Amino acid sequence: MTRAETPKPFAALARPGEPVFQVRGLTKTYGEGEAAVHALEEVDLDCHAGEFVVVLGASGSGKSTLLNLLGGLDSPTHGTLRYRDWDLAGADEAALTQYRRNSVGFVFQFYNLIPSLTARENVALITEIAPDPMSPEEALHLVGLSARLDHFPAQLSGGEQQRVAIARAIAKRPAVLMCDEPTGALDVHTGIVVLEAIEHINRELGTLTLVITHNAVIAEMADRVLTLSDGRIIHERRNARRAAVGSLAW
Amino acid sequence: MSLLDLKLLRDLRALKSQAFAVALVMACGLAMMIMTRSLILSLEDTRDDYYRGHRFAQVFARLKRAPQAVAGQLAAIPGVAAVQTGIALQATLDLPGMDEPATGLILSLPESGELQLNRLYLRAGRMLVGRAPAGQILAGEAFAEANRLRPGSEISAVLYGRRQTFRIAGIVLSPEFVFEAPPGAALPNNKTYGVFWMPYKELATASNLDGAFNNVSLTLAPGVAEEAVIAAVDRVLQPYGGRGAYGRDSHPSHTRVRDEINILQGLSVGFPLVFLSVAAFMTHAVMSRQVTLQREQIAMLKACGFSNRQIGWHYLKFAFVIVFAGIVLGVVGGVALGHRLVDMYHLFFRFPELEFQLARGVLVAAAVVSGLAAVTGVWGAVRHAVHLPPAEAMRPEPPASFRPALIERLGLGRAFTASFRMALRNIERRPARALLTTVALALATGILVVPSSFRDGINHVLDYQWDLIQRQTVFVSLIEPGPVRTLADFRALPGVVLAEPTRGAPVELVAGNYSRRLGLIGLPARATLNRIIGADGRQLILPARGVVLSIKLAEVLHVRPGDMLQIRVLDGKRPVLTVPVAGLSEDFAGTAAFMELDTLNHLLGEGDRISGAYLTVRAGAWREFLRATKEIPRIGNVVIKEAIREGFRRTTAESIGLIQKIYLTFATVVAFGIVYNSARISLSERQRELATLRVVGFTQGEVGAVLIGELVLLTLLAMPFGLLIGSGLSGAILQTVNTEFVRLPLILTPANFAFAVLVVTLASLVSAYLACRRLNRLDLVGVLKARD
Repeated sequence: MTRAETPKPFAALARPGEPVFQVRGLTKTYGEGEAAVHALEEVDLDCHAGEFVVVLGASGSGKSTLLNLLGGLDSPTHGTLRYRDWDLAGADEAALTQYRRNSVGFVFQFYNLIPSLTARENVALITEIAPDPMSPEEALHLVGLSARLDHFPAQLSGGEQQRVAIARAIAKRPAVLMCDEPTGALDVHTGIVVLEAIEHINRELGTLTLVITHNAVIAEMADRVLTLSDGRIIHERRNARRAAVGSLAW
Repeated sequence: MSLLDLKLLRDLRALKSQAFAVALVMACGLAMMIMTRSLILSLEDTRDDYYRGHRFAQVFARLKRAPQAVAGQLAAIPGVAAVQTGIALQATLDLPGMDEPATGLILSLPESGELQLNRLYLRAGRMLVGRAPAGQILAGEAFAEANRLRPGSEISAVLYGRRQTFRIAGIVLSPEFVFEAPPGAALPNNKTYGVFWMPYKELATASNLDGAFNNVSLTLAPGVAEEAVIAAVDRVLQPYGGRGAYGRDSHPSHTRVRDEINILQGLSVGFPLVFLSVAAFMTHAVMSRQVTLQREQIAMLKACGFSNRQIGWHYLKFAFVIVFAGIVLGVVGGVALGHRLVDMYHLFFRFPELEFQLARGVLVAAAVVSGLAAVTGVWGAVRHAVHLPPAEAMRPEPPASFRPALIERLGLGRAFTASFRMALRNIERRPARALLTTVALALATGILVVPSSFRDGINHVLDYQWDLIQRQTVFVSLIEPGPVRTLADFRALPGVVLAEPTRGAPVELVAGNYSRRLGLIGLPARATLNRIIGADGRQLILPARGVVLSIKLAEVLHVRPGDMLQIRVLDGKRPVLTVPVAGLSEDFAGTAAFMELDTLNHLLGEGDRISGAYLTVRAGAWREFLRATKEIPRIGNVVIKEAIREGFRRTTAESIGLIQKIYLTFATVVAFGIVYNSARISLSERQRELATLRVVGFTQGEVGAVLIGELVLLTLLAMPFGLLIGSGLSGAILQTVNTEFVRLPLILTPANFAFAVLVVTLASLVSAYLACRRLNRLDLVGVLKARD
């Protein structure tokens, strides 16, 4: 994928059920020879627009690696990785940057907000470089933080910080929302609030949402649940019905 | 403003003290560079304009007496463009209200029109042109100012034994006397030595030189070799008692200005470069720490689609803001100090107008140099940051791997406290960082040594010159060499305890292809007042045969003791003699050659004569002595040692003292900057570890010890190296500054070293205190929660 073929913002074209990721034989190996670590081995996967996918697995099972590869943060050792019509596996750094800039929203376990910028500014940082963003205020409204626009991260609770991170991720109207242990650093009550925000985005915007977690309870709210172990998908199930977030408890 | 810029601004605010420290160090280097380069530009431009506008001559000669017609012969020498002949006469001055006699050099003004060469600049009053009324005189500004003389003031002078009173018509400047010092003296003494101009006719009548001249200056046509003309001038003037023509390179005022510019040139490169390197290092340290701290922010920005270039540029801008602040501070400081120095230079360089000129080229160069310094400093850190794959950067840095320190592995660990062991291990874990910090601390120590070594060098020269070598109270010279019995007259003066004769003669010393013109000094073999001291500090006894040369002169002539040297006397019977070099004397200003008095008189073949004497005078009889010398018309010059010393203190010492103070202040600022920065970086790196210690029950003092321990260890390690670096740096800078005319020895005193150590220690203590205060204010829980 070259810069000229950079994907357009997905949301405008989103049709529920349209294929977004097509993954075949995806492998990621760190190191070489005897010291080689196979973080991901021969993974096949398809994801569709509007889907809510939860990836479960213990530490070291390869779920973060999978998310990094899908999110364009890292490149596979071999295998096919297609985002819609584009080959992500062979993309260079510049193309991956464009991909992340236009199509992917990230939510990290530790929020990764810029401490020197307010909530509004943290979101605006991204809307400034995205081609068709919503306003920072609108994004923060979507996560229920309209009242905390001008607070600095240090003045916000953990849950609020994570919701700012979600607002930051979705403000660009991404095709894909990647969440890496979004509730890992939060208590149950706050975690629920954050998950509600993610779910709300998934429903309202039709964003393909991938949540990786080792918290099996969260799987109940997904359309589809993948379980990883030793770098392979060992189990895949579809929920007949997505559980309401409010009903979850852990 | 973009949000990344807003982030930049707020990050800068959080780092303001460190950023300020870096900017300050940079500013010190730049201020010094701008100050010195601008001064060089100001001096050079002013001098060149002045020389051109007032037609400063290129070749100069003194002679006994030549009829005016000889001027035509000089003008006919191929390559000579213009000739100015005239009379130069030394006279004793009598100033109302001053005890000691003053000496004046009186020069003639042409009978009609203006001077052809070395034209005067009128500062006050009026010019004397053509046949002015008798009894009027023009006075040089330096003397007039020192003695508070104004147009209309009166002054008495003894011309050829006849006392005359003159009224000052105007105060003037001459390109020949930008630096107004008595002949042969390295230092000015404006209170007792001045230059004057009066109409030719009057001066000629007073000195029996009517229709003749004894002083000549000339300029050359473009592209003409000076040596050939000098040789021709010497041939023409030889029958008339020519004392050897010389070019600008030997002109006392010109060389003095040139030397000053040389000194500034030496100072304008080396020292600022050291400062800027330190600033580059500090920028690197601050930036790499900043980038490490913001590792996750960088990863997030990359994950969100910011390109490497955007992120790299963001951090480079961070450095550029610091550079910009440094440049602004540096320019403001450099210009202010430059103005101050220009004012001071006006004290001893007399230009019609010496204005501070900002060397704009230097501004650009300074911006480029410091910009490069910052980019070099930041580049590595930023490159590392942007090349980190975002997924990698998102993970916290793996915990540093520690192992027992070398001392512990050697089994000595138990002798130390836990805090000390932690400090040791930390140093060993990151040897490169520890090394860089040590280098910076050593530089901080080193740059403190340099300015003080200048001061000590000057003091040494002064003590050497005026306590060890010259032990007289006063030196008196005769207008013309006189018989030995004159010494008895001097001994008879009130209060004189000891009198030792001296004889000077203009000579050319020739050794192979090398030659040098100077005044050969004749002294008693075992002189006790003006002594000749060898490199070993012991007095040299002048042998009955041979000459003793100053070390620098021997270097210029490429001779060693035992080598033969030809002496060509440029006066009187002009004898030529070949003698061995008998020894070398240590001297710090100019060049000198000595010979035993009787041997010299024998060589000159004019009988036993002296041209002056060194005297010690009883303090109680001082006034009487001075009054008596005023009455002896044959006395040409009275040089009072203490007056010269005082004059030196007020001029040269003040100028060098000011520069030294400026440098010392800068060096102190830099030392503080380095140490403070090291402490802050250490604190931010180990915040979490230190907070953990506090949480598990360490006291503030104990935790402070861990933090400070490392700094103390590195400081102790750095200091000896710093003193070594400082010594080397001082030597190197003195090398660039020293010329044939002024030489400062490298003097390193325990006081100098102690001061450097004290400042760095103090800087460490203050920085440690500030760091500990920050440490005590840490929000322990907050720090532990943050995933730094």
